[in-house]
Amino acid sequence: MRSITGVETHAAALLRHCHEAKCGHVGDVIASVAFRNFKALRRTQIELTPFNLVIGPNGSGKTSLIEALLTLRTLSRLPLADPAVVERQGGIEIEFRFDPPHDGIAAHLGCTSEAMCDLLRINPPEAPGWPGLQAELGQIRSYVLDHNALARTSLRDDGTRLHSDGSNLASVLARMREEKPDAFSAFTEEMLRLMPEFQGLELIEHADDRVEFALRLAEDGVVPAQEVSQGMLYLLGVLALAFDPHPATVLCIEEVDRGIHPRTLREVRDLLYRLSYPASFGSDRRPVQIIATTHSPYFIDLFRDHPEEVVISHKHGRAAQLSRLSDRLDLADLMKESTLGDMWFSGILGGVPEERS
Amino acid sequence: MKLAVLSESPADETALRGLIEAVLKITPAYVGPGFRARGWPNVAQVLPAVIRHLHFNTNADALVVVVDADDSVVHTPEHDEPGYFHPQCRMCQLRAVHRKTIKKFPPARGRERVLRVVGVAVPAIEAWYLAGRDHSVSEAAWIDGQASGRQPYSRAELKWRVYATDRPSLPHEIVCALREVERIRRDPRRLEHDFPGFAALATDLRAAQRESVK
Repeated sequence: MRSITGVETHAAALLRHCHEAKCGHVGDVIASVAFRNFKALRRTQIELTPFNLVIGPNGSGKTSLIEALLTLRTLSRLPLADPAVVERQGGIEIEFRFDPPHDGIAAHLGCTSEAMCDLLRINPPEAPGWPGLQAELGQIRSYVLDHNALARTSLRDDGTRLHSDGSNLASVLARMREEKPDAFSAFTEEMLRLMPEFQGLELIEHADDRVEFALRLAEDGVVPAQEVSQGMLYLLGVLALAFDPHPATVLCIEEVDRGIHPRTLREVRDLLYRLSYPASFGSDRRPVQIIATTHSPYFIDLFRDHPEEVVISHKHGRAAQLSRLSDRLDLADLMKESTLGDMWFSGILGGVPEERS
Repeated sequence: MKLAVLSESPADETALRGLIEAVLKITPAYVGPGFRARGWPNVAQVLPAVIRHLHFNTNADALVVVVDADDSVVHTPEHDEPGYFHPQCRMCQLRAVHRKTIKKFPPARGRERVLRVVGVAVPAIEAWYLAGRDHSVSEAAWIDGQASGRQPYSRAELKWRVYATDRPSLPHEIVCALREVERIRRDPRRLEHDFPGFAALATDLRAAQRESVK
């Protein structure tokens, strides 16, 4: 595989082999992303797996990776650029490769500045699979959930898909209950398992076409959304994504551990695995490719059995490099001595802030 | 009899409670909520604080600790010789942590010390779940594999055999674990025979039970 960085790591080779052999997992969209001079990502590439947990210091390009995917989504809806035009833009370039059946297509984003990537070309230019890939790229979604937004009263018809901050959660749940009662029932069952202090979810529809939710306590009384704890609101947001009857093709979620007790993080990981590995959860629907970020050592600990799912962003000055945790050839020996989270915090694994000496 | 359990997950704790009851043939009381560690070596790191808390703040008779052996040195009868300590054996390490910790404590809550009940699952707790069901899985088979350099199975394979996936959800883990524990508890002797790391736990448990009725 030739990329704009010209580098192929050990993990990339393994993952390429995995992609070629399909590894029993179909449905991923993005095979790899390569960056040149894009914000902190100066010259680096990463092969993406069905589930990707990105860790690293602030300003190390975690959000930039997600921004690149969202820009690809946006530009894929517009007419393609003249190939010559893209190649003229001042050295800033992002290249995407895709999983089968679109593995014959490469997409290049051209940028006029670090903040402005506005041209997309594909190679080959007339790829017959482009319309199908376009449709998949249009379903990339990104979330930075906000507890205030999640608790908001929303318009009854404010979409079936959760907004990026979760601000239409109430209307999404109301629509799910009406249009996909089985999904709503599964959502509620899982919610009650994770939050045993409650016995039900109530959706209150107002005369002005607004809807809000509340949680009925197992003992007695109702807690309106505005009074539900922040952590529980975040958990409800992740639950809504996990039980979405119309899930994204690629789901990006930032600070996935936010507000959630460390002991509950295993459940959050499982909710996301439900999307990216549906067969493991008895579902035959298409997998969702996930890119999540975290700063929680406790969350990272949960990937001991699957370190290939962890991407570390190493920042040196203003530049950052992405690598797979499984690239570490001594990882198995290191894990005999410490937990992943502790090793990450200690600096052994890289991906920590630089300090003035 | 009142027990505390230090485990890595709710699934492990649920299974352990079933195995404890199979050995004791009673349902003991438990200190709640269960204590958690984040895998090795976090168990050994948090253990002194857990013992201190139990000793001074609870009326627990014993603390049950179970860890996976992973690729560490497996405990053997030679390790039980007086004064012997193998630095790479997790059973030896956990027993040493317990011994060193309680040594400093004065009697409290009407007892001398919180007793230790230590088990090491070789190489992982899923191997215990397969006892009597999958005859290729035993502590001896693992030790033979370590000696020959060709392990008979991996941790990931054991997970597959128990959960039919390498990414089980927590509820699925609990259902599968309980299914196997329900089978094992009818006659835990096979588990004790095939897994000395469980037999050590059973021996500690019975000793704690005898101590608690004195």
